[in-house]
Amino acid sequence: MKTILALREAECAWVRDAFPCVHPLLLPICNKPFIEFLIDFAILVGSPAVRILGDGELDAVERYCENGSRWGIDISYANMQTGDSVETMLGKNRRFCDKERVMMVSGFSFVRYDKRRDYKSLAGSMPEGEWVAGPGGSITLFGAPEKPEAQAADAPLSLMALDGMASYYRASMEALETGADRYVLPGYGGEPGCAIGRNVVMSKSVEIRKPVSIGNNVQLLGDAIIGPSAIIGSNVIIDRESTVESSIVFDNTYIGEQLEVIGRIASGNRLSDPVSGVAVTMEDPHLLSGIRKSEALGALPRKIVHALGALILIVLLAVPFLVVSTLLRLGGGWRSATGDYLSGKSGETISLGKVEPDAANALDTIASTLSLDRYPWLFRVLTAELALIGSTPLPAETQHPNAPANALAYRPGVFSYAEAEQWPATGGDAAIVERYHLVHSGPISDIGLVVKAFVNRPHEKTTP
Amino acid sequence: MSSIITLTLPGDPLFTEVARQTTTSVASLLTGENRSASDETQFIHDFELAISEAFTNSVKYAGEHDTPPTVTLTFEIEKRRLTVSLLDANSPFSIDTPAPDIESYPENGYGLWIIRKVMDCVTYRREGNSNIISMSKTL
Amino acid sequence: MIITETSANGIVIVALEGRLDALSAPKLRGSPPVADPKTAVVLDLEKVDFMDSSGLGAIVGAAREKGDPACGIVLSCMNNKVRRTFETTNAQRLFHIFDDTSAAVDFAATRQIART
Repeated sequence: MKTILALREAECAWVRDAFPCVHPLLLPICNKPFIEFLIDFAILVGSPAVRILGDGELDAVERYCENGSRWGIDISYANMQTGDSVETMLGKNRRFCDKERVMMVSGFSFVRYDKRRDYKSLAGSMPEGEWVAGPGGSITLFGAPEKPEAQAADAPLSLMALDGMASYYRASMEALETGADRYVLPGYGGEPGCAIGRNVVMSKSVEIRKPVSIGNNVQLLGDAIIGPSAIIGSNVIIDRESTVESSIVFDNTYIGEQLEVIGRIASGNRLSDPVSGVAVTMEDPHLLSGIRKSEALGALPRKIVHALGALILIVLLAVPFLVVSTLLRLGGGWRSATGDYLSGKSGETISLGKVEPDAANALDTIASTLSLDRYPWLFRVLTAELALIGSTPLPAETQHPNAPANALAYRPGVFSYAEAEQWPATGGDAAIVERYHLVHSGPISDIGLVVKAFVNRPHEKTTP
Repeated sequence: MSSIITLTLPGDPLFTEVARQTTTSVASLLTGENRSASDETQFIHDFELAISEAFTNSVKYAGEHDTPPTVTLTFEIEKRRLTVSLLDANSPFSIDTPAPDIESYPENGYGLWIIRKVMDCVTYRREGNSNIISMSKTL
Repeated sequence: MIITETSANGIVIVALEGRLDALSAPKLRGSPPVADPKTAVVLDLEKVDFMDSSGLGAIVGAAREKGDPACGIVLSCMNNKVRRTFETTNAQRLFHIFDDTSAAVDFAATRQIART
């Protein structure tokens, strides 16, 4: 028995609009990409090989699933045209099918099954033809049964079309509530109904109300209430006194203080109501209030503290910088490229030289341990172009996916808060932790974080 | 650790294969921690494709000169990143080409688009009378 | 690059072997069944071990000149490397792509009958 998973772009076009960063086949349902539920089902019916067939680009899916060795099966990919008939689709994959029995799952539907049941003998013995069908797709068997029809116990199987936010929300909640009994769900669960990923930091006063599913690298702050029925993705911060109930929070999302997210889907800075389909793009309202306060009270002291900190570093590192950089320059190991970066003032750019010493010999090691590559930037703190610690400077020329929603959520710094916290410093992950600190950090804690960043940066390089 | 290899080839399509094979053998020197064999294969193939496109373009746009045209390849090998630069003496060009309008069945004009698509970072600069296009990707 | 022409079921099969790049693309473009707008061709890419945009351009350009582009050139057996070149440019949308040459021939034959 082989499996063909066939999906057409038109069926999942709404995902591209609603969640532009996610390939529809990788849309997370209860923190697990959609396609994995189908792969699990294919394994359940005993398929050693799965072919993913699409009429659009499958690059992202291919990068995620690769050749299937992770699941112990073969996964391959092929293209089809939007108007292809079932016969044409089978013809295009004739070599793959290889005269064996084939199960074709077509359409963008959530397949309800129960992993404890025996679908293998059922799929092997059923007559050729449609197994189950729904408004958004079908599961069909082609080729003669592999074994005579047996008294196989009936097992539940039905399809729920994923045709928009509302059905997506329903499917996610259903997967969460029926839980790990019926599906293979990610995360470590100490008890049923509560699955938690790696590196989740929770304040003692956080209240968890089952069922919940929480991804990796998540911070839940004081007095937050999570659940019931909360699905929280990876690299998420839920700030103080906020409630997330009957909601889905996507990867790389920051939920500010004292917010009530109930019956919503939060992704990035977009908050959608799955029932009405209304989406609100937040200009980070929670952040806005938080920052205004600190802008008014803390802007001047912060600038002074940052300038003083920079001055101290400039003095302390002057001798090592002059010696090491000169020696490295002579050896050709000090390469610098100048680029334009977004400034804290909206619409303006600053140009910064980026130096990349390789930690290979002793000099390079000294340079990266003392962050000498950042030394020239310290002077920019004195001229108030950079903060001593803030956001990672974003390149100006490219349309950056993490470009700040507004200037208040971005303050470029010599060091970044992400470096201080050793947060995975790629893409959206870093942006989240930076936004959190932009709201919460005061002049004094900034100094502590600078020290942390200074100490942590070299480690980050050796373990990228 | 960073090593640099420089290779100057005649600007003739016959040498595209030399450029490609050199690039694949250089690219196969890199290994990434926690990267699968298929990631590594993809990495090598992406460089093979990008260099083929860049070299073909260089040869195609080499005008009439007194001396036969050459293309100089520079490979900069770091632990997990490879940068390949091509230097030629052709007229200046822009790398900001739009996506090919595939529905009109174009026969040309895919090269730079493919390079930008398969590489992490592509830069172009003009130095004196030379074009330098640099392509880099991290494994 | 080696170009081999055979036929089955009234359809010309053009099998390519080797590298399809700027050096070899004109050879493919000039091959009579590929260049003739009236002949439906199955292009067997199984043994193409490298293809860049010059090769892609030759295939796309040849398809454009066929009476019915999507059925004038039917592709079979492309490996992952070749598929990647198609997908970076979205050119896979223009073609019917089969993983088996005989299936591609059957498809091209029925399309030809349907047209005549």
